[in-house]
Amino acid sequence: MDNFVSDILFYVFAAFSISLAMLVVTTRRILRAAVYLMCVLGASAAFFILLGAEFLAGVQILVYIGGIVVLLVFAVMLTRSVDLLEERPTLVRKAIGGLAALSFFGTTALILTSTTFPVLRGGPLPPNNTAALGKKLLDYGSEGFVLPFEIISLLLLTAVIGGIVIARKTSVEKGGN
Amino acid sequence: MSDFFLSPVGLQHWLVVSTALFSIGIYGLLTRRNAVGILMAVELLLNSTSLNFVIFNKFATPSAVDGQIMSIFIIAVAAAEVVVGMAIFVTLFKHRKTVDVTSMNLLKN
Repeated sequence: MDNFVSDILFYVFAAFSISLAMLVVTTRRILRAAVYLMCVLGASAAFFILLGAEFLAGVQILVYIGGIVVLLVFAVMLTRSVDLLEERPTLVRKAIGGLAALSFFGTTALILTSTTFPVLRGGPLPPNNTAALGKKLLDYGSEGFVLPFEIISLLLLTAVIGGIVIARKTSVEKGGN
Repeated sequence: MSDFFLSPVGLQHWLVVSTALFSIGIYGLLTRRNAVGILMAVELLLNSTSLNFVIFNKFATPSAVDGQIMSIFIIAVAAAEVVVGMAIFVTLFKHRKTVDVTSMNLLKN
């Protein structure tokens, strides 16, 4: 019964997120695309909960919906894309894009559905998802991820500084303070 | 095909959904003209990739959380990417008054 409910939820969210993702890439109003993208990312958070990754669902909502989509909306506003309707892509462009997407989907789906993936490390899910993640992230043993964690923090710092440097006013005279 | 839908939801179903999201992202990447729209398509791609990591974590190594950690890293990289992308587009708009990628051919010829 429990499985049945989660299967239904899976299909509902899958249909929801795929149809909205199609709207994200086809709508001509860019601000609406941002709102649809928000719904797709919310559906992904629901997927994470169905997959037993509650912490990740929280991070998804905090960072993606609360941060990235808001930033994208800012980008839309600052580049004045709100008032203009995007031109419809030409037929050639549509054909190339559709062909690339469909052939990728066909090949990959065929391969994935005809492969059986072995269970590498069986066993139950760790009881406390968040605690397991935190321990793994700061573990400096052979199975830990403390070095990538530090590198990611450095990358984020670089991105913040780079963003400020690129987008600041460029009218400052050379050599002037 | 029909037994694909009749069987209980397993690894393959999840992977097909994430592949579908990824290919929709590819379509958007190739057809959009507005640079911010392309950034949104890239977000779709990154999101489906992180979904893929969590799926394999659940079905291939259920007793560990390595896939979820990779997913966290992907989310962090996506945030960094959007920050830099937005900065570049805002600067580009200041200079050229457009974010249409088909008109960005300064390096051509």
